[in-house]
Amino acid sequence: MLPFRFHLLDGVPVSDQLVKAVQRAVLTGEMAPGEKFPSVRVLAQELKISPTTAHKAVLELRDAGFLATRPGAGMVVVKPAGSSREQLISQLAPACRDLIRQAGLLGLTAEETQKALRRALSED
Amino acid sequence: MNSLLEFHQVSRRFGRSQALKSASFRVPAGSITALLGPNGAGKSTALRIALNLLRPSSGEARVLGADSRKLGPAELARIGYVAEGMELPDWMTVDQFLAWCRPLYPKWDSDLERELRKQFALPGDRKLKHLSRGQRMKAALVSALAYRPELLVLDEPFSGLDPLVRDEFITGLLELAGGEGFSVVLSSHDIEEVDRLADHVVMLNHGEVLLNESTESLLARHRRVEVLLPENFGDLPALPPTWIAPQSSGRVLRFADTSHDAAAFGQTAAKVFPGCPPPDVRPYSLRELFVTLVRAGKADAGL
Repeated sequence: MLPFRFHLLDGVPVSDQLVKAVQRAVLTGEMAPGEKFPSVRVLAQELKISPTTAHKAVLELRDAGFLATRPGAGMVVVKPAGSSREQLISQLAPACRDLIRQAGLLGLTAEETQKALRRALSED
Repeated sequence: MNSLLEFHQVSRRFGRSQALKSASFRVPAGSITALLGPNGAGKSTALRIALNLLRPSSGEARVLGADSRKLGPAELARIGYVAEGMELPDWMTVDQFLAWCRPLYPKWDSDLERELRKQFALPGDRKLKHLSRGQRMKAALVSALAYRPELLVLDEPFSGLDPLVRDEFITGLLELAGGEGFSVVLSSHDIEEVDRLADHVVMLNHGEVLLNESTESLLARHRRVEVLLPENFGDLPALPPTWIAPQSSGRVLRFADTSHDAAAFGQTAAKVFPGCPPPDVRPYSLRELFVTLVRAGKADAGL
């Protein structure tokens, strides 16, 4: 079992999806700073993905400040510097772009799109 | 980048049929490369050439840096091979089979053998001929992994395995991940089976290599586009050469963008389709991409 939630989607590079999932887990506190991060082999086996892909995601997460190397312990989770609310908001950007595109296909204006979003928020 | 397996314009004929046509591709070091294509595309032929079970009619395959035709026991001890329906000594029990393999390989790792047998829950006292299809494949995989090969060649390994057994098989082969790293090349006619496992893809069709590229770059550069044309749009405009396989139905035009650049796309689309709403642009799954490219190839060939 991996210590974060992950559902693979079609058509998006797996390493990008893995990076996003781990970032979300760290930012929401699903994984705590100092927690041991699974090895490349365990990631590959659990997700049934190539070790090269898993390795690439781990390096990207390390470079982005979400993971750090601890001698003897492999990789551990770190909370990156900066506002985590801002980083969470930026995680929503792809979904927003999708919403805008859908609105464009329906020929809706920006005001109408916002109205639809407000309506959905109040229903929730 | 290094590769453990490279094909340079390899062709192979069987009588009048051409199984491989000047095929060039490579298996990058450390990758899991999938050889994809329908039955009869030339996948098994390519793998059999890589193992010197077949000779190329022309061209050259290089394996572990050597010409495939010169592979000897020393090189073959660094390669693991498992094929669907491969011949095994069926009269042996699992214990006897692995005891028989062990002395053939100086690098046999008994701890890894134990670990894999435990993972696969293989019954040691059962004869190979009495194993299920999945268990047989697992026994063959243990015998091919326990000597830690640098290159693992799997010919249709998942064919006929139920999803649970397939997952166990994949987990087992990834036991070798990490450490010094190893490369895997596997063939499959079912793209969905391998689309997350493979990080490099070679697509074959009728013996020809359609694609030889990393999965990531393939997914990144292809997009499926749908445009809604206005009622009186008239004739279809000429599309840029990287927009292929156009199909139209009513007012909807679909095509494949083969070198997608999100920044430039909007401008080009506005120029080609003046007055149209922004096109719907979506990523492809590997399976959809393969079907689209095969169709486009047929259209090019006038079929």
